[in-house]
Formats: sequence, C-alpha cells, structure tokens
Amino acid sequence: MSVPVMTVPGEPPAATPAGVAVRAAGLRKTYGKGETAVQALAGVDVTFARGGFTAIMGPSGSGKSTLMHCLAGLDTATAGQVWLGDTELTALRDDALTALRRQRIGFVFQAFNLLPALPARENIVLPMQLAGSRPDPVWFDDVVARLGLRERLGHRPHELSGGQQQRVAIARALLPRPDVVFADEPTGNLDSRSGAEVLGLLRSSVRETGQTVVMVTHDPSAAAYADRVVLLADGRLAGELTDPTAETVLDALRGLGA
Amino acid sequence: MRSVLIAQLRAHAARLVASTLAIVIAVGFVVATLVLNATARSTVLEAVGAQYVGAAAVVTSTDGASLADDVDTLAGLGSVAAVAPSYETSVQAGIPGRVGSQYLFVESVADDAALRWQRMTEGALPDGPGEVAVSERARAEVGDVLTVTSYDETGGESTSEATVTGIVDLSGDPQAGLFGRAFVTADQARQWGAVDPVELRVAAAPGAGDEQVRSDAATALGDRQVEVLTGSERADEAAANMLGNAMALTAVLLVFGTVAVVVAGLVIANTFAVLLAQRTRELALLRCVGATARQVRRGVLGEALVTGLVSSATGAVAGIGLAALVSALVGGAESPIPLAGISVPWYAPLAGVVVGTLVTFLAALAPARAATRVAPLAALRPVDQAPLRSRPGVLRLVLGLLLLLPGVGLMAVGVTAGDVLIALPGGVLSFLGVVLLAQRGVPPVVAAAGRLAGRLGGVPARLAAGNATRNPRRTAATATALLIGVTLTSAFVVGAASTRATAQAGLAAEFPTDVVVEGFSGELPATLVGTLAGTEGVERGASVLAGTVTGPDGEPTGAYGVDRDEATAALRSTEDLVLPGPGQASVPEWLAQTWDVADGDRLTLGGGDPDVEVPARELTVRVIDADNPLLLDAAELRALAPDAALGQVWLRLADSDPERQVDVVDRITDVVAEASPDSQVTGLVTMRAEIDEILDALLLVVTGLLGVAVVIALIGVGNTLALSVVERRQENGLLRALGLTRGQLRGLLAWEAVLVAGVAAVLGVLIGGAYGLIGAASLLGEIGTIVLDVPWLQIGVIVAVATAAGLLASVLPARRAARTAPVAAIAA
Ligand SMILES: Nc1ncnc2c1ncn2[C@@H]1O[C@H](COP(=O)(O)OP(=O)(O)OP(=O)(O)O)[C@@H](O)[C@H]1O
Ligand SMILES: [Mg+2]
Repeated sequence: MSVPVMTVPGEPPAATPAGVAVRAAGLRKTYGKGETAVQALAGVDVTFARGGFTAIMGPSGSGKSTLMHCLAGLDTATAGQVWLGDTELTALRDDALTALRRQRIGFVFQAFNLLPALPARENIVLPMQLAGSRPDPVWFDDVVARLGLRERLGHRPHELSGGQQQRVAIARALLPRPDVVFADEPTGNLDSRSGAEVLGLLRSSVRETGQTVVMVTHDPSAAAYADRVVLLADGRLAGELTDPTAETVLDALRGLGA
Repeated sequence: MRSVLIAQLRAHAARLVASTLAIVIAVGFVVATLVLNATARSTVLEAVGAQYVGAAAVVTSTDGASLADDVDTLAGLGSVAAVAPSYETSVQAGIPGRVGSQYLFVESVADDAALRWQRMTEGALPDGPGEVAVSERARAEVGDVLTVTSYDETGGESTSEATVTGIVDLSGDPQAGLFGRAFVTADQARQWGAVDPVELRVAAAPGAGDEQVRSDAATALGDRQVEVLTGSERADEAAANMLGNAMALTAVLLVFGTVAVVVAGLVIANTFAVLLAQRTRELALLRCVGATARQVRRGVLGEALVTGLVSSATGAVAGIGLAALVSALVGGAESPIPLAGISVPWYAPLAGVVVGTLVTFLAALAPARAATRVAPLAALRPVDQAPLRSRPGVLRLVLGLLLLLPGVGLMAVGVTAGDVLIALPGGVLSFLGVVLLAQRGVPPVVAAAGRLAGRLGGVPARLAAGNATRNPRRTAATATALLIGVTLTSAFVVGAASTRATAQAGLAAEFPTDVVVEGFSGELPATLVGTLAGTEGVERGASVLAGTVTGPDGEPTGAYGVDRDEATAALRSTEDLVLPGPGQASVPEWLAQTWDVADGDRLTLGGGDPDVEVPARELTVRVIDADNPLLLDAAELRALAPDAALGQVWLRLADSDPERQVDVVDRITDVVAEASPDSQVTGLVTMRAEIDEILDALLLVVTGLLGVAVVIALIGVGNTLALSVVERRQENGLLRALGLTRGQLRGLLAWEAVLVAGVAAVLGVLIGGAYGLIGAASLLGEIGTIVLDVPWLQIGVIVAVATAAGLLASVLPARRAARTAPVAAIAA
C-alpha cells in the first residue's frame, strides 16, 4: 500500500509546482563528526501540498523532529534543499530566515509553547508584532472564537490548562495566515479528550480556511485526523498513506518494525 | 556530604567565578580603602608633623616661657638620649640673581640625628654657623651665598652671610608654598635673633618607649607650665591643626570606612543570594535522591565558607596591591594628594578577610534555608513556568521602616545640631532601611519605567519590561546593589561639592586678601599701588593708609584707612573683614573691649599727633574679628592723622593654578623690593589654591573608590543577566523560532539591563543627593556657615555612566543568548 514518492535524485525541479507548499530535496542532517556522527536524515525528498494536513510518523529516533526542524527553518541541513513556496530556505541567512519564520510559518510544539510572562492575547499576536504588522481584528476574533479562547485572553500561561495552552499556541500559529503550520507532537502532553479537541481544531482550520498543516506524532489515532501520513525510518522515507485510519497507520508502523 | 561539597565546588567553579570575583573586588576595595586611609593619614602626619614623628616626646610651654633651662634637666633623664630645643626666628634674605630680599622663616636643626626630620631634595643640613639649608620655595641653589638681614630683640639690624648647603623637601606640607623656610644650627638661629625656645623635642634612649619618655619628662617638669605629649600625639595635633578641624577629619574618615564596609557587605550578600537562588532546583534534586535538609544546608554553607575564605584572602592581597599601585600613581613629590609609599595597618587585611568570609557566610544562610524548604519535587518541575511572586515580606517591611524612620529622625537632629556624629549613625540606619525597602520599592518603579520603555522601544523593550519584573526579588537584588553604589557615589559628590563651596567661602572670609604688601619699617611709596596693579597676574590693588589716632582712653593707637569701594574690589570676601564707610569704624574685638564699645555705639577718636591740632571725629562702631587692625575710612583717617601714608597694599590675583600664582607672588616681591627694599610680601593666595587642589584630589580619589562599588554592582547586573540567559534558554529559543532576530534578542537583554540599571541610577542619585546634602549640613554645621551646592553635571554623568555600564554588562550575556538555536525551545 505504500506508494513510493516520485523523486529525481540530485536534480531538483527549477520551480515549485503550484499547489505545493513545502518541498525538500536530498535533505541530509548529520549530528556530530567522525566516529560519533549520527545521520538523523539520510537523504529525504518530500513535498507537502497546499491545503493538506500531513502527519509524519515513524519509530522513535527515526528523524521526525529533525525533518520538521529543517523544513521549518529552525535548524540548518547538512546537505540538500528546502523550499517554502518559491523561497529556498536553505539559501537564506539567519535574519532573512527569522523574518520568514514569523510571517510565513506557524509553530505548535509539544511543550513550552508560550512565553510565561505574557498573557494569552500577547502570546497570540507576538509573531505579528515582531514582524511589525497588526493582526486583522476580524480574523483575530474569528480565530479566537473558533479556538474557544475568548474568555481566556487575559490569562497568563500558568493560569491555563495544558489543552488551553495548546489552543493558544494554535491561535498564534494561525493568526498570520502562514504558508504552513508545523506541529511537533502537539497532543503529546494532553489527555485524550483535550488531544482530540486540538486535533479537531487543526483539521477544521485545514478544511475551512485551506491552511496547510504538517504534524509529527506518535499516536495512530492522531494521525487518523490527517489527509496523508508520511512514514520515516532511519532518516529515510519509508512510505506513505492517504486518508489514513488508526488501523491502517498501525499496520504500516508494524511493517516498519516499530 | 563532603564529597558532594567538593564535587559541587569543582563542577560550579565556573559559576563561582562570578561570586568569587565580587568578593575579591569588594574585599580588595575594603582593604585598599583602609590601607589608603592609613597611608594618607601617615603622609599628612609625616609632612605636617614631620618634626614630631621621630621624637619620643615633645614638651611645649603653655605660658610662652622659655624652656632653655629645662634642656639639661631632660637630658639628664635615663630614658632620654637627646633633647633639641626649637629656636625660631625670621630674617630677610637676599638671594643671588634676585632683586631685593625675601622673608625667610628660620628654624633650628637638631644636633642629634634621631631628631633631624628634614628630608633633603639635594645637599645636606648645615653643620655650623654660616651655613643654611632652605626650602624649595626660597628658590635658592646649593652653593648660593645669601645676604641675611636679621634683627635682634630690640630691633637692632645686622647683616651676615650664609652659604646654602642643601634644599629641604617639604612636599605634602600645604604651607610649603607660603613662604621660604631656612634651617640652621641652634647657635646660628640665636645669632639671627632667636630667643626663648618654647618647644623641646626629646629622643628616647635605646630601649625606652615613647610613653615612658613622655611620663618621665612630665614628672621631671611637673612644676612648669608645660604640655608633654608623645611625638605621635603631637604630630596628630599638628596635622589636625593644619587640616583645620580634627573632628571633621576623623568624621570624614569614619564615614568613608563605614561606607566601604557597608557597600562591600551588601554587594557580596546580593551576589551570593542571586547565585544560590539559581541553584534551588539543583539542591531540590539532591533532596530527591535522598539528602536530608540538614545535609543540604550544611553543604551550601560549607561551600559559602570555603568560597568566602579563599576569595577574601585573594581580595586582601589584591587590595594591598591596588593601594600600592594607587599610591605609586597619584602620590609623589609633585602631587597635592598626600600619599607616599604605603602603610598597611595590621587590621586592614584582617578586617577584609573577616568581613568577606562572614558576609559570604551570612549571605548564604537565607538561601540555604530556602533551599531546604523547597519540596524535592521542585526539581522535576519545569523551570520558571509560573512567574515568581515575592512573598509579602512583612518582616522586611517592618524592619525596613524600623531602621528608616529613626534613622531619618537622627539625621534631622544631626543637621539641626550640626553634629555629624549624630547624623552618621542615622545615615547608616536609614540607609540599611532603604536597602531593605528597595526590595519592595524597586520592582514597581522598574515596571513603570518598563511601560514607558515599551512605548519607545517596540516589542523587545516590552518583552524586556516583562522579564525585568518577572522575578521581582532578583530584579530588586540586582538593582539594589547598583543603587547602593550610585547612592554613595552621588552622596559623596554632592557632599564634597558642598564641603568645597563652604570651605571656599570660609577661606575667603578668613583670608580675604590674596597678597599683602607691608612696609617692614616705615611707609611705602605712594606710586607702588599703581605699579603693582599693572603687574602681570594681578587683578586689582587697593591702597591702605597707615596712621595713628587717639582712642577714648587717651592712648594713641595705629589705624588703617581704606576706600571702601576700592578695597572691596581687591578682597575675596568682606564677611569677616567688614570695611568701614565714611562715619564708621571697624574695631577689632580686643580693642572694642579695651574701649568698652559694642556694635552700633558711637566712638570718638582724636588726632594721633599731640603736636598737630585736629578736630575729633565721632564714628559708628562695628566690631570685627580680633586678628584685624582698627579700620577707618581713608578720608576720616587723613582728617585725624594728616601725615598718614601708604602702609599696606592689598592685591587680588587673577585665578589660576598655585604654581603660576607663586610666580606672580615672586614678581610682586621683586617689584616691591625695588621700590621699597624694606617691605614684606605675604601671599596667602597659594595656600587657598593648594587647599582647593587638595579638596579636588580627595574628591577624585573618593569618587574613584566608590566607583569600584558601582563596578561590582555592574558585575552583579551582568551576572544576573547571564543567569537569566541560562534559565531562559528555552524561552529565548521559542522567541527565536517565532521570529525574533538575533539583533532583537540582543536588544531585549540590553533593554532589560538599561531598565534595571537606569532605575537604580536615578533612584540612587536622588537618595544619594539627599544624603550628600544632609551629610554636608551636619558635618559643616560645626565649622560655620554652610553653602550647599549640587553639581548637576556630575550627577548627570553618574546616571549616564551607570546606565551605559549596565548596557555594557548586557553585552556578553546577550551574545550568548543570541547564539541560542531556535531548536533549543523544543529540544530541551
Ligand atoms: N542535537 C543532537 N545531537 C546529536 N544527535 C541528535 C541530536 N538531535 C537528534 N539527534 C539524533 O538524531 C536522530 C533523530 O532524532 P529525532 O529527534 O529527529 O528523532 P524523532 O524521530 O523525533 O524521535 P522521537 O520520536 O523520540 O522524538 C536520533 O538518533 C537522535 O539521537
Ligand atoms: Mg521528536
């Protein structure tokens, strides 16, 4: 059932086809040097369609987080290229990359998503403020309402539950209408009910507003919210699934020996 | 636990560097201050009390009677090795190559080597008659032959010659520039008119102590009107006389010493508190794995003790080295700062080590207690998720107020009573109160300043404002350290400015004339005023007539006549020397008593010459200080004494440095010598300028030393920021991930530093300014009229420097923060 992704090794296409949000070609990442070197990514070629909800899955240590960090411009690749739309991230210097992150990429992490000193509202608008732009108030209200945060805007992170904190992080990620939202195990610290809530919100933002979302997860039932699952093993792509269900994902993971 | 303690010390060596550095600097500061104090004191003593420090005892006649006959009595005592009577006289000396003659103050040189105190710049002291050693001010050279005019008791004049054998070094003596001094053998001094020594300096026989010599001499002279002091007591007295007010000097040194110890203590306490607060988590982890609360506490305290001891010892050595360096750099013959060599009192390093160790230990007590109160599970919770709220600290508030209010009360009493010894403890108490209350007061001020900064500096400034108030305790501790330094520095700057203004006003009142030219035996040519006023460096001259009038008691008395407008322009101040206008007489106190007149009374004066008939004049009395002559309006004096002639010329010199003014006084001396060989030139101007320079230099030294406190505090600011950077690694990573550029992250930390440092600087200047004014008012209240002065420029500079230095302190931590990879947020 795993369909190999079409690749043209060493010869990346000159332009990103329309409809593709993020694309990586020949992506390698090596930690350390010599004897102790660890190859976290051993040549990954992958594309993520605009308006799609993709889950990245694989055994622990397979390189999921590393892939996401490189795709999001949080970490530099050892070799290979990453494009966000028509912009090659791997060619940008730190300041340009930073500016791009705050305008075109949204993040949701597993934990420590919010600045403890700032109330929820400030946390949500922070990336836009850093970019020097103002959020569209109608869109802001819309996002806040959909995430059910209207009553919570004045609270500081330590006054919010884990699920609420993740919803604030999602609101922050969605507010600038980024090209793509990356989420690394966004439900890893939540109970199943709050987890389902968060995943539902991510999915509805894809369905209702055409937001592109890429999510790393360990949980097959979380992956089932996605349109597509990309499987990773030992730093390489190891197949993918479309329209996954918890069962098909479990089967595929078993196939990887996880 | 010992192995854990050692492992901790080793593992945290790098982190301890910061606290060690603070202790080293603080202890070094204390020790250097004590050593420099001792050195300055001994230098002043050496310069001003030079002739006494070598003597075991000094006998001074209290009724002015000659002690010549007591020399043999004392020399016969078993504990006495030698006795040197001090013969003093004055002569007019002609120096080759110079027109006219100059006044030389002559002192006898002891025969015994132990009592010869003079340091020679060149040559040697005289050994016999016809030989003389002179001070540099005389401007003669070794080998010159001086033509000396001396006067015997009855005023008989005689001339002799003396060869210069050496030049005596009087550096450090503020009077050295006033007039030339000559040193001759006792026989020569007697030949030149010296009679009746009123002071004997006594050297101890081998094995005899000063105190023994003193008591032996006192017993031997029990029936005489004498005061017998040990050499060092007498030197102390001389230094105190020289420096005006012994009480004030001791008080200043006392204030300074107290300040040094208090600053150092608080800074160490703050630094250590911040450092230990950082380790709460680590200590909780130790608890988690089974250490008892007692073990943890003992571990922390042991660590503090070792750190304190090692760094205090290092600091003591560094302090002595620093003092030696300062002394070598700013001391020396040409410098007006009284520093020569270095004197290390035994208590200086001891005090440093004890204070450093004790304070470090005490500083560790509170965090050690807090560490044992932390639940072991705290180690497992994520760091600093919830902002820390400082506990109400009612105890702190109450204690702060208990110190502050009585302190302020004492200061108020001290100012009203003009007594610094009341104000000083008040100052210390209230300042401790301020430091305690700062913990509460500073965070709201920082928050308010942060709101302002947020409006100016955009997102980084707003985030910085949030960060700066996030851990109010730490912010307060950091700011307080700086606040202390800035407060004390501004207190000293303001206090010194006021002291200086007051001293200047006082000096001007006491010595209103820069230079006085006086006919030594007779009158001056009338044209002299015009000639002198035209001399380069002279700003104004006033002629003063001298004549004789007859008082209400029928006795003739000398009087001076001035033109009030002309004379006022030539004086620095007419506060003490009140000049009479037409119809008025300024009567010195002693004369007013003789004539039995008081302020506002009418006084009738008659002509001074019984052979010339003049109408008597009725004048209004104004009583002035005893050391002035009877002063009348020039026209009145001429009416009473038609033969009145030019008796004095008062000159005011243009303001410049002492060296240049010495040249001007020399020029005047030459001009006067040509016009009237028999006249004397007295130049008090150099003394004023030198006292000015000494005040300036002292202010500089004190400010410099307090600057050290500010530097320590800034290490504290850097330290706190560095710790915040470590602690907020994740957070900074998150900010970077969300789009904060490296520059903005650096800006964030810079803003944080500026907020804390700026608030501390502004508060410090305000509080310090008040302390300075209070200090000056209470210190100078004893001395006379107070002139308060706020040096706005220096105050502005202090604020700017402290804030800029805070910014500087943020550079290293900011660089480190900027290197935080965005993934740090997730990877942690
Ligand atoms: N900073 C690093 N230094 C060295 N090796 C690293 C570093 N980060 C990751 N690795 C290694 O790279 C490999 C991939 O790590 P990565 O974190 O991407 O795995 P993952 O798939 O996200 O695992 P998990 O599911 O446990 O989060 C692992 O072998 C890991 O040990
Ligand atoms: Mg991972």
